[in-house]
Amino acid sequence: MPILELKNVSKIYGSLKALNDINLSVNAGDWLSIMGPSGSGKTTMINIIGCMDTPSTGNVILDGVDISKESQSNLTRIRRDKIGLIFQQFHLINYLTAVENVMLAQYYHSMPDEQEALEALEKVGLKERAYHLPSQLSGGEQQRVCIARALINSPQILLGDEPTGNLDEENEKVVVDIFRRLHSEGVTIIIVTHDPEVGDVAQRKIILEHGRVIQDIDQRATFGEALKLKGA
Amino acid sequence: MANNNKRKMYLRLITRSLIRRASRLITAVLAIAIGATILSGLVTIYYDIPEQLGREFRSYGANLIIMPSGENGINENDINRVKNLIGREKIVGFAPYRYQTIKINEQPFLLAGTDLEQVKNNSPFWYIEGDWQNVMIGREVAEVLNLNLGDDFKIQGVKFGGQAEASNQNYSAEENKTRDFGSQYFSEKLNVKGIITTGGAEEGFIFADMKILNDLIEDNFKADVIECSIIANASELENLTQQISKAMPNLEPRAVRRLTQSQDIVLGKLEALVLLVTVIVLIITMISVYTTMTAMVAERKKEIALKKALGAENRLVMSELLGEGILLGFVGGALGVFLGYEFALRVSLNVFGRGINFQWALIPVTIIVFIAITVIASIMPVRKVMEIHPAIILKGE
Amino acid sequence: MFSRMILKTLIKQKSKMLMIAFTIILGVSLSTAMLNVMLGVGDKVNRELKIYGANINVKHKDAAIISELYGLGVNDKFLYEDDILKLKTIFWGFNILDFAPILEGRVILSIPGTNNTGSEVFINGTWITKHAVLSTGEDLNTGLKNLRTWWDIQGEWLDGNDENDKNFVMAGKSLAEKFNIHVGDAIRLSKNGVIKNFVIKGIFNDGGNADEIILTDLTVAQELLNLSGKISSIEISALTTPDNDLARKAAQNPSSLSPDEYETWYCTAYVSAICHQIQEVIRDGVARAVRQVAESEGTILNKTTLLMILITILSSIGSALAISNLITASVIERSQELGLLKALGAFNYQIIFLVLSEIILTGLFGGVIGYFLGIGFAQIIGQTIFSAYIEISHIVILITGAILFLVIITGSIPAIRYLMALKPTEVLHGK
Repeated sequence: MPILELKNVSKIYGSLKALNDINLSVNAGDWLSIMGPSGSGKTTMINIIGCMDTPSTGNVILDGVDISKESQSNLTRIRRDKIGLIFQQFHLINYLTAVENVMLAQYYHSMPDEQEALEALEKVGLKERAYHLPSQLSGGEQQRVCIARALINSPQILLGDEPTGNLDEENEKVVVDIFRRLHSEGVTIIIVTHDPEVGDVAQRKIILEHGRVIQDIDQRATFGEALKLKGA
Repeated sequence: MANNNKRKMYLRLITRSLIRRASRLITAVLAIAIGATILSGLVTIYYDIPEQLGREFRSYGANLIIMPSGENGINENDINRVKNLIGREKIVGFAPYRYQTIKINEQPFLLAGTDLEQVKNNSPFWYIEGDWQNVMIGREVAEVLNLNLGDDFKIQGVKFGGQAEASNQNYSAEENKTRDFGSQYFSEKLNVKGIITTGGAEEGFIFADMKILNDLIEDNFKADVIECSIIANASELENLTQQISKAMPNLEPRAVRRLTQSQDIVLGKLEALVLLVTVIVLIITMISVYTTMTAMVAERKKEIALKKALGAENRLVMSELLGEGILLGFVGGALGVFLGYEFALRVSLNVFGRGINFQWALIPVTIIVFIAITVIASIMPVRKVMEIHPAIILKGE
Repeated sequence: MFSRMILKTLIKQKSKMLMIAFTIILGVSLSTAMLNVMLGVGDKVNRELKIYGANINVKHKDAAIISELYGLGVNDKFLYEDDILKLKTIFWGFNILDFAPILEGRVILSIPGTNNTGSEVFINGTWITKHAVLSTGEDLNTGLKNLRTWWDIQGEWLDGNDENDKNFVMAGKSLAEKFNIHVGDAIRLSKNGVIKNFVIKGIFNDGGNADEIILTDLTVAQELLNLSGKISSIEISALTTPDNDLARKAAQNPSSLSPDEYETWYCTAYVSAICHQIQEVIRDGVARAVRQVAESEGTILNKTTLLMILITILSSIGSALAISNLITASVIERSQELGLLKALGAFNYQIIFLVLSEIILTGLFGGVIGYFLGIGFAQIIGQTIFSAYIEISHIVILITGAILFLVIITGSIPAIRYLMALKPTEVLHGK
């Protein structure tokens, strides 16, 4: 049973078709990367999957519910419950410590729980940095806080927008390793990226151009290897 | 327990946001405090103006004249009762006068026995050459008698109860002299300590302490008229005269229309001036605070979009901004109230040379007003952000 | 390129710059209004204080106050009616707002139809209202009515016209009560064989000594007393400058001044200088300041002006701080864009120059609008409170301009310091 289904989804801005009749189905536990040149519709796609925007036509079915016609406030609720977001620019609130940034997501979702937030940080290897401010953390550490925040409410889909775009190679590897572990724990991961190496570690890769899916590549054959290659 | 946790996180969010953005917040608190200072300061001054300027208007002199309604003068008992009726804190000056006809070089003059200190309070506009003390003479008198400061002059007159008799031409000069020195007459040498210039009738009098006059004529204290300078507007003074004449039928109080009417008009205009200025300054100050706050909040657009992306409902984001606004407004407002008092006090000391009454009600009013401004200023610009999709948090910018 | 960049920022940052401009408009209009009002308030309050009546009194040099005190008689020394209008020709003639001659005398009052056949009463003849055209072509409207604003009138004022007032008089309240006469009653006044009948047109309440007299038109009194062309005194209400040490020195003896001091004194509207000039035109006259009015006026004026100055200074500081606050906030907010410029290789001074030029342009724009708005505010205050136009002082432009410039520079300092410390990488990597 697919956790996410896009059926004939189009998004039109004036005369521009940002997305043109997209059909896509993602199963629970999948790891999908979305690639494509600038202007191919990646951002629009992530906005729609992330419940921050609705398509002009077509249907988006998330966890069995059609969200394509939902109101803004309902979308907010659905996003909070089902989607964990990771940003290229981390977007941590600079006056809150790492653990507080994680707790913020709990706070908006249900109930802040410092213990749980600390455990989430431990998972990304940042327990000892929990009480530092973002300005005291390196880029990689900030991104790990961002991931911990995305995971804290156990979302059904982890949605990354160029999550390694601002990281050096070493940190990129750490983050990808975390994704790999999460995948093995059964988390559904969708990542938009420019970076072919990051795109290659997924099970499946789609390539967008001019709002259409021009390639849909099954990488399950190379899935384990890709990681090994990269790790080597 | 669960709610408790949530409330704790809420407080944590607000205080963290306020404390860790300290440098920015100083700007905001400063803006609010300046606004609150001006508000509480100007309002304090405005409330104090009638009192303070009213006192200044007392420099025009006595505005209430009390005369005895019968033949008998006003005794000390009456004076105390009148003072109580008026209310001692309202009295700027209170000078009883007793007039006595005397002769100097066989020419008649009027000697006014009074309380010279009180006369000074009543009529600060008198110009005195020499000192303000026993005995002062009017400039007219000085010219007629050709007296200068430090000169001695001799006064003669009839004691109280004695028969005043004009110098009879039938008597010889020698006889006149003996008559003048008889038991019914007095004679005394006085020294000119001050010469009075006023441009008014006072220049024709000789002023001495009431006690000296009473000793000379050998009588108890008795005033022919009392001049009072009282802090009151026309209607208050009108009430006062009615009260006095009702409570003490032996007295006849009269308000000096020229001063009371004019004071009401001029003071009214000055009050209106300060009010209008206060209102304009306040409006402008509040708008300034508002724009400053707006600018401060606008820069948090991204942060709000992020919170929304994390699943925050508008209501929650709003309540955070509200909380911050309340805290900021409270701190700034409270700071401003006390600075404002200081400001009003300085102005009052500089202009009027007196302290100022603090309006306690201003503390809550100022704080509430500035909390309101801050909250409105924080929420208005954010409302627009609310309408924007959280998607701006992604790559854009 | 530089100017293009400024233009672009101004247009692109429209809303931000508009907000700064708006705050500047508010601040400048506030300062302009307050400064104009402050500079004009002395004159306006001075005029208001004129309701206290005359502050200068002119009498014959030999007329003694003493004789009046006892009612021992009426002076036989008089001034000339012809001299009165010369008052407006003195150096400070423009400052003389109102004046009225008074002829004092005593007549016998009798009331026809009653058993009152004769009591001696005081009579004052005056110009109730006077219209004259001066040799300069200036229209003049003055008279006692303007000098007795506090009078409470029962019935009506005399007309001020010789013909209409020929058969009417006004009576003081105490006198009216004493003789039981009312508005509309007929009375007869006589002196040395001259007998005239009058009707009471109004009864006035002065609250002072004037309540004991009968008031008539000057011509009527002159005929009754057989003193045509003569007056006893002139009451004058003049706008004056509060006394200082120089004025006090001069009041004692003008000849004790050095030529320079004399010049300053003569050309300042001190009450003593005006008195001095009045004596130059009124034959045999001695002009004296009525200190009760003149001195107190000075006190009130000084206090009011000081009050306005303090309020002006403090509120200007307030708006200055608000503006500089906003500038700081807005520049800091643009750090990202400015960081980009730095990354593109701009030097610090170039960026600072850019930022300053933008803000100064905005300030100029806001300043000009604010100035005119402020003039409007000042006029609102002037009309509402004093029903008069407030003179626009050009020095206000300079003062406000200087303040605004300082405010803009000080407001930019924290922002500039922030910019200097800014590292382009930090900005671009989304902090």
